[in-house]
Amino acid sequence: MALTTSAIPPRMKKRRSVTSAGATPYLFLSPAMLLLCAFGLLPILVAAFVSFTDLNIKGLANWSNVQFIGIDNYTTLFTDAAFWSAMGNTAIFVVFGVPVIIGVSLAVALMLNYSQTRFFRFLRAFYFIPAITAIVAVALIWGYLYNTQFGLLNYLLSLVNIPPLQWLSDPTLAKFSVALVAVWRATGLNIIIFLAALQGIPRDYLEAAELDGANSWKRITRIILPLMRFAIFFVTVTTVISWLQFFDEPFVLTEGGPLGATTSISLFLFLEGFRLNQFGYASAGSLVLFVIIIVATLVQLKLRKADDEY
Amino acid sequence: MKRLTGSIVAPVAVLALAAGLTACSSDGGGSSEEGGAITVWIMGDTGTAFEELAAGYTEKTGTDVNVEAIPWANLNDKITTSIASGSGPDVIQIGLSVLPTLADAEALLPLDDLLGDYPALAAENFADAVAGEATQIGGQTLSVPWVADTRVLFYRSDVLAEAGFDAPPATWDELTETATALAARGDGQYGYYIPQWDSSLPVVWTWAAGGDAVDAEGNVDFDNDGFEDMVDLYTGLYADGLVPTNSDFDQVQGFVTGITPMLVSGPYLAKSIEDAAPELDGKWAAAPMPKNVDNTSLFAGSNLGIWHNSSKVDESLALLDYLADPEIQLDWYDKVNELPTNKSALADPRLAEDPNVAVYVETLENARVVPLVPNWDSAVGQKLTDALNAIVLTGADRQSTLDAFFAETDGLAVQ
Amino acid sequence: MPRILIGVVLALGAAITAFPFFWMISTSLKPASESLQYPPTPFPQTVTFEYYVQLFTQLDFGRYTINTVIIVLFGFIGMILMAMAGYAFGKFQFRGREPLFVLVLATMMIPVQVTMIPTYLILNGMKLTNTLIGIALPTLVGGFGIFLFRQFMSTIPTEMLEAARLDGASEIRIFFQVVLPMSKPILAVQTILTFIAGWNSFLWPLIIAGEQKNYTLSVGLSLLNQQIAINPPLQMAAASLMVIPILIIFVIFQRYIVQGFTLSGLK
Repeated sequence: MALTTSAIPPRMKKRRSVTSAGATPYLFLSPAMLLLCAFGLLPILVAAFVSFTDLNIKGLANWSNVQFIGIDNYTTLFTDAAFWSAMGNTAIFVVFGVPVIIGVSLAVALMLNYSQTRFFRFLRAFYFIPAITAIVAVALIWGYLYNTQFGLLNYLLSLVNIPPLQWLSDPTLAKFSVALVAVWRATGLNIIIFLAALQGIPRDYLEAAELDGANSWKRITRIILPLMRFAIFFVTVTTVISWLQFFDEPFVLTEGGPLGATTSISLFLFLEGFRLNQFGYASAGSLVLFVIIIVATLVQLKLRKADDEY
Repeated sequence: MKRLTGSIVAPVAVLALAAGLTACSSDGGGSSEEGGAITVWIMGDTGTAFEELAAGYTEKTGTDVNVEAIPWANLNDKITTSIASGSGPDVIQIGLSVLPTLADAEALLPLDDLLGDYPALAAENFADAVAGEATQIGGQTLSVPWVADTRVLFYRSDVLAEAGFDAPPATWDELTETATALAARGDGQYGYYIPQWDSSLPVVWTWAAGGDAVDAEGNVDFDNDGFEDMVDLYTGLYADGLVPTNSDFDQVQGFVTGITPMLVSGPYLAKSIEDAAPELDGKWAAAPMPKNVDNTSLFAGSNLGIWHNSSKVDESLALLDYLADPEIQLDWYDKVNELPTNKSALADPRLAEDPNVAVYVETLENARVVPLVPNWDSAVGQKLTDALNAIVLTGADRQSTLDAFFAETDGLAVQ
Repeated sequence: MPRILIGVVLALGAAITAFPFFWMISTSLKPASESLQYPPTPFPQTVTFEYYVQLFTQLDFGRYTINTVIIVLFGFIGMILMAMAGYAFGKFQFRGREPLFVLVLATMMIPVQVTMIPTYLILNGMKLTNTLIGIALPTLVGGFGIFLFRQFMSTIPTEMLEAARLDGASEIRIFFQVVLPMSKPILAVQTILTFIAGWNSFLWPLIIAGEQKNYTLSVGLSLLNQQIAINPPLQMAAASLMVIPILIIFVIFQRYIVQGFTLSGLK
């Protein structure tokens, strides 16, 4: 990642990568960090505290109704069938969703990068549209497409003599349906990131490989993918996190149904907290989820081999 | 690229300034800050109509009314955050199933000592199912009746006639018989429709079969014969293929197309049918609920309450008083098709002009509210529909599923 | 693989990806009765704009649009704050840099649903509920943004900054006159991301707004999603209203976005 520097006076040739300057960095940091602490860190600390209490709506109204109950919430949680079912669903979403999103985004990015003609550039925009659309609008559109009575998808199936599918009513298929919408939404940003990484690959590498007679498949596997290691890693981490926090699509499309088949962990917590007003219990669950996300991320960091800069 | 930066960085300072100004001007809100106006939370999409209705109150008293429309789906979030912050509206529309939850959180102002000055709000003016003690919580009056909702049988008279039925089913047996004949019309045709998300239907059918949802002490307890009879009917309709199984089935479309020519629903359905298919006028009607032991139906709807720390109690009471007026309630019915709870409004001949409305009013006389258990919808209703749906849709074992449901709702009680 | 074949595959994929939007716009122009017909009609047989008119006459979509724009403007302030933080992480050596940066990354991992109530209580303590500032505040800065800024800004040559310091420029001035102008690509990326986030914001407006006059477009749209009596064209008109402006902005900025990510060292 070399950025051409302007002519530098000789006396400045001490090449330090960073500056150290007393209070300056702290001044630059503090506004953003304050906000991050107030709305990122502090709430999780509050949640940690609340997870050891029986806080419910009564307690919200009047703090004298709140009692410490130690780790009861956690013990209840680990024996709660609904929690495990949500964990199972989330595991399924992660196991299937992550490779699909990364595979699709990468394939599309490689194809889009194949040529720099106006037509290929024009096509890019289409792939980004889903990523920039409000979830509420997305849910309405897809709910309408999936509808079993007047939805378009079943009509299209009927044209090729396939009987109508219960997109959001069949417990197994509903998992697929909500995940499909999520994949459709998530690829856009990842395609952009991959495209950016592809454009960062020096042309002469590829030209040299071409002269050596490497075919395009070899070029992709031997040169392009290794050079995109960091981008792929970055997208993997963010995608895993987003699947672990999977919430929007099942919330707006199915409210976690049918029969809890699409209830992810995040949605389970939300329903416990906001539908049943069990804030202490939901906080305990959220701490567990937080720990899972941290562990998943640390594992990925460990698995990642040292990244060679070129 | 140069142009781009100009368009991003330069205006930031301006934006900051503008944002600061807007923030100052968008301040306010909250119940007690605006000069004299009272804030009312109205559920669903009837907010605009309510503004029109409240204009008369403003004219009479000089008090302005701020109407906030709260989407039904987000009601819980709004209530929770308001309780947490201690600042709510002045007046709130309370779905009857939400009432115990709000009471549990002490969010509502007890009205017992305040209603004396407002004869229009006296219990005897309202339908018995929701008046006075019927919706008291822990012996306190926390709300007054506002609109009524109920469940009746809607049927397509033309479709039934074609199948050889000149009257809607009047008993459970006839319901099954009629539905069987209607489902036999062909592939993709059904006899009846069950909304899978609606927990009130199984409760109503349990009552009609002589059962109950709570025991004598007020503990949630479905383990009785009436409930079993309801499950027989419910699962039977599915087992015989008389009802669609897709959860996103649209009841209005199903009814209009004739795919599902019968269903139990509320008056709002009539309005939807009229809007969606005016050409069907005269080919459908409402009928009383089919009978088993009796034909008890649901008394649903909303009450109105005052937030516990409202600073405008007198103005709020005056609004409740205004809304309790039979003429106003009838006006509201004209606007949004929500039935009155005031007895003389219910008895008004103008309502009975429409035969469907006559059926609703008659049904309300033999209707009950769901047990006043906190979180009824999520803690009991949702579990009930989940259990039934598990049996009919996934073939789960009936007895063990129901036993699990009984265990899940054990320990919940009427407040 | 020849270019033609790849082009065809891509065009097909693009069509499938964008199809729901075509369907949205097509439906928004149909009368309600036609939208519920089976089989569905690909193009409206009768074109009507009544639902777009309804959004602004019967519903309060004009106000929601203004609110949404204000939220977006707040977002840009947040963007500058994130740029400042990214700059500090990228170009300064200071005590606590690593742990603080880990903390930034950790905030990306906190599920939003978890922090709802505590955040609400915090805002309530600051007396910011029912204000547009309160709606914007929780999402004003994010770990992802700071991370991107840091990635990019660490590539800015230190010599440039040193030269400016020797000229006696203040640190703030260096940031606004040297660092930001050099960070155009990442600013472009962040502008888009900020715009998207603000324009689509749903959860916080819903919880914090408290009153309809503070609702944003997303919340207004969800008000239309009643379980009873669905009206697809009205919903789709509202959805179109939300999507089309963002689409236009995106198409304008598209060129800079990939460029921005390219230069931010995400490789």
